[in-house]
Amino acid sequence: MSIAEKMAANQKQVAISEFFEKNKHFLGFDTLNRALITAVKEAVDNALDACEEARILPDIVVKITKLDNSKDILQLEVEDNGPGIPRASIQKVFGQLLFGSRFHAIRQSRGQQGIGITGVVMYSQLTTGDPTHVESKIAKEATAVSVDIGLDTRKNKAIKSNQDRIDWGEKVHGLKIKTKLKAKYQRGRQSVWQYLRMTSIVNPHADILFIDPDGEKHHWQRVTERLPGRVEAIKPHPNGIELGQLQRLCSESSESRMTTFLRRTFSGVSQRAAKELCEVSELEEKLKPKSLSAQQVRSLLEAFQGERLLKGKAVKLLNPPTSCLSPIEELLIKKGLSKTIDSKFVTTMTRAPNVTQGNPFQVEVGLIFGEGMAADKPVEILRFANRVPLMYQQGGCLLTKAVESVDWRQYGLDQPGGRGVPKGPAAILVHLASTNVQFTSEAKEALSDNETVMEEARKAMLEMGRGLRKHLEKQKKMSKTIEKFELINDIIPAIAKKSASLLDLPVPDLAASITKIMSAVIAETTTTWNKETKQTDVHIILYNYTSRARSYTMLVNWPERQGATMVGNDLGGRKEAMGVWAWKLETLQPGSQTVIAYSLDGLEKGDWNETDVFYRGSQEVIGATKMDEKLLEEIRRQEEALNAPPPEEGEDSPDDEEEEDPVEDAAEPEPTAPAGDTKQTTLFGGDY
Amino acid sequence: MAERKSIEETKVALHDVVREMYDRIVKGEPPTMTLPVRTKNNIGFDPKLGVYKYGKKRTIRDATSLGSAKQLLRALHVIEFIESMIDDGKSSTLREMYYISEGWGLGKFQSQNESNNLAEDLEIVTRCLREDFKLRPEEDGARMIGNLTLRERNRRGEWMRINARDDVGDSGYGVPYNVEEEKIEFLEHDINFIMAIETGGMFDRLVENGFDEDFNCALLHLKGQPARSTRRIMKRMSEEWDLPVVVFLDGDPWSFRIFASIAYGAIKTAHISEYLATPTSTYLGITADDILAYDLPSDDLSKKDIEALNAELSDPRFADGWWQEQINMMLEIGKKAEQQSLAKYGLDFVTETYLPEKLQQLGL
Repeated sequence: MSIAEKMAANQKQVAISEFFEKNKHFLGFDTLNRALITAVKEAVDNALDACEEARILPDIVVKITKLDNSKDILQLEVEDNGPGIPRASIQKVFGQLLFGSRFHAIRQSRGQQGIGITGVVMYSQLTTGDPTHVESKIAKEATAVSVDIGLDTRKNKAIKSNQDRIDWGEKVHGLKIKTKLKAKYQRGRQSVWQYLRMTSIVNPHADILFIDPDGEKHHWQRVTERLPGRVEAIKPHPNGIELGQLQRLCSESSESRMTTFLRRTFSGVSQRAAKELCEVSELEEKLKPKSLSAQQVRSLLEAFQGERLLKGKAVKLLNPPTSCLSPIEELLIKKGLSKTIDSKFVTTMTRAPNVTQGNPFQVEVGLIFGEGMAADKPVEILRFANRVPLMYQQGGCLLTKAVESVDWRQYGLDQPGGRGVPKGPAAILVHLASTNVQFTSEAKEALSDNETVMEEARKAMLEMGRGLRKHLEKQKKMSKTIEKFELINDIIPAIAKKSASLLDLPVPDLAASITKIMSAVIAETTTTWNKETKQTDVHIILYNYTSRARSYTMLVNWPERQGATMVGNDLGGRKEAMGVWAWKLETLQPGSQTVIAYSLDGLEKGDWNETDVFYRGSQEVIGATKMDEKLLEEIRRQEEALNAPPPEEGEDSPDDEEEEDPVEDAAEPEPTAPAGDTKQTTLFGGDY
Repeated sequence: MAERKSIEETKVALHDVVREMYDRIVKGEPPTMTLPVRTKNNIGFDPKLGVYKYGKKRTIRDATSLGSAKQLLRALHVIEFIESMIDDGKSSTLREMYYISEGWGLGKFQSQNESNNLAEDLEIVTRCLREDFKLRPEEDGARMIGNLTLRERNRRGEWMRINARDDVGDSGYGVPYNVEEEKIEFLEHDINFIMAIETGGMFDRLVENGFDEDFNCALLHLKGQPARSTRRIMKRMSEEWDLPVVVFLDGDPWSFRIFASIAYGAIKTAHISEYLATPTSTYLGITADDILAYDLPSDDLSKKDIEALNAELSDPRFADGWWQEQINMMLEIGKKAEQQSLAKYGLDFVTETYLPEKLQQLGL
């Protein structure tokens, strides 16, 4: 089976077309502007999801054309290079509501509830009476299918017309949708442009071209060839199960023993836990799940939720695996932000995965700061859930509240009263990746409150804030250093020259007075992208402008974790820790200088714009920071933790299991501490 | 009285400033410029001159910070510029110098204030006057009415004889920026005293009421904080004709400061106090007493007013008992009054009642 066919085979259907017609306001079609954004969103989300599953780098073109000015009729065209949809499935994908492969699987995905593209077809039909034109080509067929899809909203069925096969020339696979709808194109914070811009930030692997109704082209280019990590579907975790779902799982189960059922159906349940769950819910291990009474299911649920205790304690469950999550990751967030907003300083952080109510989740934040943004306006908050931009209801959203909960004044942003959205030339990105994103309403625009998620987001913000503060402090120091250099390179020589000429005397030698003036050791660092070598060149000059000889060990941070390699490092030195390199320098005589130079290979332009320089030594170095040995120790510890083999889940060997349960696994590991408790610290305030 | 410097002396004095910087570099030290501290903490009464002068405190501006180093460089450019003007027999305004500095590269001025301050710095360090440097202020001179005759050399170099009552209109004789002997000579007068007035409205009132003729005096409009030439001409008239000066100002902390700068010397120009200040001048009003005695319409003191009064209490120029009493009284009643509040009792009240009473108290 081709990927496209496999995906199509997963589809199940729900018949509620009529529901939509009456409730289109829930589904994002309540205003003319919003209807357009929603339509674009459904089409683009589908394209991105399909490409991701098929491991294709997406090229997406969105075009909006004005058809009839006075009636607000627009034409929307969305074209992708995804796997396409087999002919037989087109009808289902576009013609039935709540038809989606992702609705039933537990993993992170964009269109989580699958109301999807059918809603667009329906809205188009309701407002213009016309069907939606679809063209689809799958790789193994020579031609593309071309068909018009309309809807019978009563029967929840698609009506096909004008079906044909057409030649697509070079293009091997993809999907093209052309639909007419009553809608309005607007600009600003809530617009198709903003939606696509935000989408491109969190999908740095996508190339998105947008042609607006005025014919203007907006192009967000791909900045990485790396597709988001493959996400695995996971089994539900007992903590996140509801009664109806449990009932269904029991009644649909063909397992013959409760313990096997528990271990195979759920994640986080070990052999021992399965036995204990049976014990506390007073179910015999041999019971067939199918035969459970309603009362028994309820008991089991109580055991799941820790309401039934064994020796005074709830049954210990392992955390669900987090392989079902696909964070964007720090470097890519940085790239995404940098390509969209032209500012130099970006700090990002991806928190370790955590779990709330049996659902794995992960918070990521990014902060971009600097010129190019208004200094006196509230910062732009870019909210995302599973890589989907959230554009409405900012105030009521958990992610906004997390931003507001931080006192940004201590990190260098304005914030009247220390509360609310801070002001300043910055944008803050918050991304929640989760298998089960909880929204405040069907409109899916704001995340509902959750203490665990809030705490994660807040911690990430604080880390971000520290990064910003460090950056600002560094900038201040840098400007002082620059001043000193202007002083000794320009002003003092000018004073010497002018005074000599006024007095008609020879220009005096300056070296001694310059040493007196500086009376400091200064490090000057440049980090620049070398177009020719495709490497990032780092150049550090250390000047000793003091009257005594000095000796130092100099250290730098470098993106080792991101896969960079250090080349042309003639001074050698040694690795101090992950991402930290050190050089013990020879004694630096008064008035002399040393140069450290190296290049970083394996990075792209813009990946690494700033190098932090540290020193060990008694005299302060202007332009570098004294090494905090404790922090270095912390980094080493983290590195060790990262390199240690991951603890096994202690479950899941479904293929070789017999009816009879093996003896209790002696080597069953203790459940690992929840990942969220690990103290995430970075030497550089999350600044990677 | 200050001695005027010759062209040669001026050049030598300027070269000394350059020399200080040069020698420091040769010694392997950062270049410096040594200046007196210009705050109220460093002014002291000079009994010989009868005015307040800078004390011994010195500040050394050295080139260890970018700001000071640029100041030194600018000073060198200004010195070069002054020398060239002296050699070419030209002069320029401070504002012109500010624009000329555009061509000085790293030594250019960022604001006009900087260039004004630097000119003052050089005056202080060299003990020259900016007239010696061929630099002119922009500031507006005062105007004057009264039966006195002087001669002024006009721009064609001819001496003009002017009577400041008969040869002028209602706006009076305009005092030029340079009132030195090469420009103005005093000839004769028939007045008993000089009255300096803060506001234009009051000056015009006294002129309209013919106060100068009724009381045989010269009226001088200060225009707020008086310009250097205004203070200088008062000083010269008072000294050369031996006339008392009475000062008629608003009744607020800022007027007290104006008086101090006229009588004792301003903090900013304490290096030339003996040249600008008139120690024999008297504060006529409006005093804190007057506000009470005449029941004048008044305003509450603002926060800034109160700060200024408190600062004056520790200012050596206001150390004498009378001033301490006046300042404390004003702080107590918390009020200030304008000169023109006297109009409460009619337009002629000031000339028929208030001033005669006050002058009588002063024995004039």
